[in-house]
Amino acid sequence: MNGGTDPPLFIKDIKPGLKNLNVVFIVLEIGRVTKTKDGHEVRSCKVADKTGSITISVWDEIGGLIQPGDIIRLTRGYASMWKGCLTLYTGRGGELQKIG
Amino acid sequence: AERQAERGREAGSLLSREPNRLERCMSIVTSMTAGVSEREANDALNAHVCKGPPQHEEVCLGLFTLVLTEPAQDAGDSGVCWRNCYRDLALVSRDGMNIVLNKINQILMEKYLKLQDTCRTQLVWLVRELVKSGVLGADGVCMTFMKQIAGGDVTAKNIWLAESVLDILTEQREWVLKSGILIAMAVYTYLRLIVDHHGTAQLQALRQKEVDFCLSLLRERFMECLMIGRDLVRLLQNVARIPEFELLWKDIIHNPQALSPQFTGILQLLQSRTSRKFLACRLTPDMETKLLFMTSRVRFGQQKRYQDWFQRQYLSTPDSQSLRCDLIRYICGVVHPSNEVLSSDILPRWAIIGWLLTTCTSNVAASNAKLALFYDWLFFSPDKDSIMNIEPAILVMHHSMKPHPAITATLLDFMCRIIPNFYPPLEGHVRQGVFSSLNHIVEKRVLAHLAPLFDNPKLDKELRAMLREKFPEFCSSPSPPVEVKLEEPVSVEMDNHMSDKDEGFYDNAEAAFSDDEEDLSSRGKKREFRFHPIKETVVEEPVDITPYLDQLDESLRDKVLQLQKGRCAPLPSSPDTEAQCEVMQEIVDQVLEEDFDSEQLSVLASCLQELFKAHFRGEVLPEEITEESLEESVGKPLYLIFRNLCQMQEDNSSFSLLLDLLSELYQKQPKIGYHLLYYLRASKAAAGKMNLYESFAQATQLGDLHTCLMMDMKACQEDDVRLLCHLTPSIYTEFPDETLRSGELLNMIVAVIDSAQLQELVCHVMMGNLVMFRKDSVLNILIQSLDWETFEQYCAWQLFLAHNIPLETIIPILQHLKYKEHPEALSCLLLQLRREKASPAPRALPSASDSGCPCSLRSSSSKLAQLTLEQILEHLDNLRLNLTNTKQNFFSQTPILQALQHVQASCDEAHKMKFSDLFSLAEEYEDSSSKPPKSRRKAALSSPRSRKNATQPPNAEEESGSSSASEEEDTKPKPTKRKRKGSSAVGSDSD
Repeated sequence: MNGGTDPPLFIKDIKPGLKNLNVVFIVLEIGRVTKTKDGHEVRSCKVADKTGSITISVWDEIGGLIQPGDIIRLTRGYASMWKGCLTLYTGRGGELQKIG
Repeated sequence: AERQAERGREAGSLLSREPNRLERCMSIVTSMTAGVSEREANDALNAHVCKGPPQHEEVCLGLFTLVLTEPAQDAGDSGVCWRNCYRDLALVSRDGMNIVLNKINQILMEKYLKLQDTCRTQLVWLVRELVKSGVLGADGVCMTFMKQIAGGDVTAKNIWLAESVLDILTEQREWVLKSGILIAMAVYTYLRLIVDHHGTAQLQALRQKEVDFCLSLLRERFMECLMIGRDLVRLLQNVARIPEFELLWKDIIHNPQALSPQFTGILQLLQSRTSRKFLACRLTPDMETKLLFMTSRVRFGQQKRYQDWFQRQYLSTPDSQSLRCDLIRYICGVVHPSNEVLSSDILPRWAIIGWLLTTCTSNVAASNAKLALFYDWLFFSPDKDSIMNIEPAILVMHHSMKPHPAITATLLDFMCRIIPNFYPPLEGHVRQGVFSSLNHIVEKRVLAHLAPLFDNPKLDKELRAMLREKFPEFCSSPSPPVEVKLEEPVSVEMDNHMSDKDEGFYDNAEAAFSDDEEDLSSRGKKREFRFHPIKETVVEEPVDITPYLDQLDESLRDKVLQLQKGRCAPLPSSPDTEAQCEVMQEIVDQVLEEDFDSEQLSVLASCLQELFKAHFRGEVLPEEITEESLEESVGKPLYLIFRNLCQMQEDNSSFSLLLDLLSELYQKQPKIGYHLLYYLRASKAAAGKMNLYESFAQATQLGDLHTCLMMDMKACQEDDVRLLCHLTPSIYTEFPDETLRSGELLNMIVAVIDSAQLQELVCHVMMGNLVMFRKDSVLNILIQSLDWETFEQYCAWQLFLAHNIPLETIIPILQHLKYKEHPEALSCLLLQLRREKASPAPRALPSASDSGCPCSLRSSSSKLAQLTLEQILEHLDNLRLNLTNTKQNFFSQTPILQALQHVQASCDEAHKMKFSDLFSLAEEYEDSSSKPPKSRRKAALSSPRSRKNATQPPNAEEESGSSSASEEEDTKPKPTKRKRKGSSAVGSDSD
């Protein structure tokens, strides 16, 4: 059914430094927009699956398209600590895809 | 716009990605059809289809996908155009488009929101084509399509969908009229949608079409619309101001017969509970999924996010207000959580309703929402309606008292005012309905008592005064509510409907409060109930199901334990049974849940079998057979499985799951087979569903209808003869192929019935309700019957004679009849033959294995014509040789002898030689022609006045033998009868 080859990882299993992550989650909250020095828009969104919740950092215009309640599949993401918080990012060649 | 485009892209990629299979099928088809002539393409497709079902499915789905996805394709480009694709599809489909219909339903239910616009357009086009060609099952697709039209949504896409489906239905109105359920569903859908469509010219035009469509169906097919139930009235009220509907309302109120002779008036409609399918049909699959998720997964206290999401998606516009009523009706009427969920920390239904009420922004919507919430209260009847439908209203009032007293107040106020205002001519009924609801609520312990709610200091004085005036019985507790209720002995609870409710309450109140006299006296009356003897309950030996329980899931185990606790149901209608039914329903629901582990079926079946042993021991058929008693008798908890089965679509996976459960039960308790037969015959809910039994039979280990039916009838025969007779007509009618050829079944029946039951069956046959013999098989069965007991044989012949089957059909039986061995058959046949031809000519009886006898010649002139002289002579000669005892009588008759002489004179020498012995009889005649005694004797014997003479062979020589035979016949039935009476004492005595 789904295009991803691997079953998605649960949020509870995400650890700092993990790469090439496939995660499916629902968007709970969209945080405030911050702008980086070089003009990128960055949003911190709270997302969750049935095992837990995590913050994902969404860059640029795609952040304006997602909204709470969307179910999204992240492919090729990675996790790292940012300001003391475990945060999820879209990696190189990775994408966010709304699936519900 | 950018956002939209993005979403479109996403949806597009989803569609193309998800149905990988569809894409693959499509490429198979295009590879076969691209670049070749139409004819070659056709041949290629056909050839592929012929290879087998998988290939057939590939081609169907491939063409289907082409139809959906290639609207803009240039016909010249690839050689296929979607119109041609549909034509090809129609040509190659060998399953009446079943595969395609299933796929459409699946896409509509699961993916509609993700479809691109072109694809939706194509889907509408395809459904229109299917409807046009009258494909079987297209009505189901139309209903699924209607479900996609969201209520309270006037965005262009939704309006387009509403209009497109309406156009199909209007264009193919004749076709619509063929399906009762489609009529009802379409009326329900569009009556509801009319409310949303107003304002712009486009919407007005659509509304007019909808109004015309609904009215024409309502006027012409009111009976079909009646099946909707009371919510039809609710919807009609919302559109009552539209002039066309005003006229309809006048007829409904003043001239109901004009709509349908069977329609007695609005009360009839208001008293019938709306079927869940209508309440559910106004929610899109997505709404349904989300609400069900909230009520089954979301913890109480964590619902806010989910409510917000739902609200943003469906309830954020002013137009969406009308959807609230649909949601509330759905929650009250369809979402019935199991006890397990009810007792867990899952978001309760009343909380969702509270949310829907508090977020209401317009007054009209709010009052409609309240009406929707109380709608099942107004004409509530504990027998027909479910506590689950009225529970949310009382709980939302109860729980809102602290955090939102205003909500409680407005609802209580509404409850009081709706009684006189709903419809003044029926005020009494509405009051009764609201009272029954409140009574039932207390009875079922939804709330222990109502005074804390009705007489609460948080409510303003006027409201409390009004409540006190309207519901004095429920609001006279001055003391703070205390939960003392538990002290009440449980037995009283089942004792009487009225008693325990007020009792517990008054017991608490007594010391502190004395109400006015009227109240006291009514209290006195109620007290009397208390001392009524408690109904005798069958004391069941304890049942040990613990070994099974351990193997059950926790949630199931709880329910089974619940069943065990309340097991000894005294009467079918007692509240106890009702409670059991509810638990049983929950068990069934749980079995049908997706995550149910089917390994558990067997264990569950063992538990149920143990718990309901009593059902299998008692009488199934009510003593007095009336519509009510029958309906009551099918109210047993175990029958809920049957009921669920009846309500399902046969191709459903739930359907087969329930069949599996039944099959497990059947292994452990074979009696369930005839219980199912009984249920299918007796329950109104099962009318016309007798064929379910066939599905059941196939699901059992026996695996085939015939064996299963025979086993069940055998079991029924052993347990309950009355039931056997009761089932007989429907069994024969519904399963003619299995029954009409079965001597075994007939023997089963005639072996146990008594003469009264025989008479009953004969009556059924004469009235045309029952056919037990058919021309092609009757002979065989009668031949089999020759080995049966005397009374059994007589019964079989009586039943045969009750049918209007020409006697010629069974004439060949004669060659099996032996004079001494088959007196029953012979006498019956003889009597019948006399009726066939009224001539009082003497008859002879066959006594040997000759292939016919004179009586057959006489009775059937057509046969006679075919017989040669030689055959006749052969018969006569045989007769002469075999009828040693009677031949003097037969061959001493003047006409016979004269005939013989005549024949002898005219036939050739060879015959004369061959039948010389026969002809010699005629010669004797000449010698003794003047002897009178023989002719006297002959006359006496050939005028069979008395039955006895006719049934018994008219031979003086064998008199002693035959009289003993006749005694035997007389006495034989009696022992059988006595034995039977012993086995079914009630059955015989009740007549």
